[in-house]
Amino acid sequence: MTTFDSRSLGQASELFELTIAELRPVAEGVVSLELRTPDGADLPAWQPGAHIDVLLPNGIVRQYSLCGDPAQRDNWRIGVLREPASRGGSSYVHEELRQGGTLSVAGPRNNFSLAEADRYLFIAGGIGITPILPMIRAVAAQGKPWTLLYGGRSRRSMAFLEEIGGLAGGEAHIVPQDEFGLLDLQKFLGEHLPDTLVYCCGPAPLIDAVEAKCQIWRSGALHLERFAPSDKAANKEKGSFEVELARSGKRLVIPPYRSILDILEENGCKVTNSCRAGICGTCLVKVLSGVPDHFDDVLSYEDQEAGDVMLVCVSRAKSDLLVLDL
Amino acid sequence: MVDVRRVRGGDGLAEINDELDQILDSVVENTRLATESFFASYDKNPDPKVLAAWLAPRAWREIDYVFLLNEQIRRYGLEFERKHITLLAKQSFQEAEHYEIVGRAIESLGGTVPTSVPPEAKPWSDFLWECLERHPLAAIAAWNCSETSASGSFEPTFKAGERHDFAEVVRVYKQIETDEKFHVGLGRQVLAAYAKTDHDRDEILRAMRGMRDIAWKTFTPESVAQARSA
Repeated sequence: MTTFDSRSLGQASELFELTIAELRPVAEGVVSLELRTPDGADLPAWQPGAHIDVLLPNGIVRQYSLCGDPAQRDNWRIGVLREPASRGGSSYVHEELRQGGTLSVAGPRNNFSLAEADRYLFIAGGIGITPILPMIRAVAAQGKPWTLLYGGRSRRSMAFLEEIGGLAGGEAHIVPQDEFGLLDLQKFLGEHLPDTLVYCCGPAPLIDAVEAKCQIWRSGALHLERFAPSDKAANKEKGSFEVELARSGKRLVIPPYRSILDILEENGCKVTNSCRAGICGTCLVKVLSGVPDHFDDVLSYEDQEAGDVMLVCVSRAKSDLLVLDL
Repeated sequence: MVDVRRVRGGDGLAEINDELDQILDSVVENTRLATESFFASYDKNPDPKVLAAWLAPRAWREIDYVFLLNEQIRRYGLEFERKHITLLAKQSFQEAEHYEIVGRAIESLGGTVPTSVPPEAKPWSDFLWECLERHPLAAIAAWNCSETSASGSFEPTFKAGERHDFAEVVRVYKQIETDEKFHVGLGRQVLAAYAKTDHDRDEILRAMRGMRDIAWKTFTPESVAQARSA
């Protein structure tokens, strides 16, 4: 997970100096880092779907999903793909970090939590397997049926295949593109399964394709996590940005000159409000990720600086994406 | 997290903010005590018409705010920024909505919605309008104190609503509670933005002190008893 401004960090989450207990390649272009406290103490508990903020020594901040086992409280594991167009985050991890070194980390936070369901369909593209892996482990431990659809450029580039092979109770469809082509989404999403939740993480084209296929599924069945803002955001009109509603995974584009509150209401999301002018504070919403651009008159400067909450009637975004606790 | 009394928009109240807060804290507390006292008395005789009588001066406040805010805008509005004209007009609209929904609640309890100032609300209304005559900011200070006072009545009303199951009144007051955060914040912002002189601040203090001594009185059981016996 990348590209969030460092100002969004550290206010809600504790900062840790962790030791890189293990750093090893797990696929072509992918390394796994196991992080521990220097004294071996337990780390904060986390749930599948959680991520941490890694504050790299070069000043760059990146978000990475935890992909280990939540039951193992003495370590956190992340998987990092070396991005071909790295702007100094993943390339630093691959080139500069060493086993035994230390790393500043904030978190964990969870914008992609696993909800209760009878069955699960997991769809992962490339390094998008990282938040999915602990989800499968949790579902398998509960004895619930699951299906994984995992695509990648080639088998060599796909991380954690061995671990996936050892998970019980479900069926894993491993689909390297150079062998089988693209994922057959129609086969798995072409029919709405009312008892099934879909969790998807991967590159934007995969997410967009899954979103399109899930139009026939009930609202709330699809849960998404993107690596980066969608193409819609990349092509956005100047002054527009995206808002993600964490509880449903729904994404909304906020155009210039329209408030977040307006767009939320148009999409059936009710938020208490009164003045719609940044005075009463009744439309206060928690910000889970991204950097708000505050235009209200009532939040303290400390609260504005912290960036954990915002008034959606007037405030906007400095980042391309805001994830709101809605 | 959000304190509407600390709304930004001007520093004209900096010298008197502490005293204003004391006045507002005092009137909120007195209103809370008066409301608790009313519902303690209501618990003994839960007659819906008594509750309707208690709500009647509330309804009058709502419509009197509408008259006052519109007159405030007509007389003094062009001395304000356009956004403040808009927001005062928006407040006026919301007060009219409150008159409508409180009125509906009164009727559902078998009471009568006031269409002229009830005797027990007259000192409150007279003071408000006198303030408007005195100074461009005085009436805003007075209604700001009065609006703030109402916040002391919400919790005791919600608790009594659970005991006596008057869900409609609670629903109405939940909406009013939300809107009053706006009204209190707006009043404070307007005062802070346009108070420039010691004379302005003196008039604001006078209006707030005066309203502090009046605003809570119609919440008492004695006020309701007097109104019903009249």
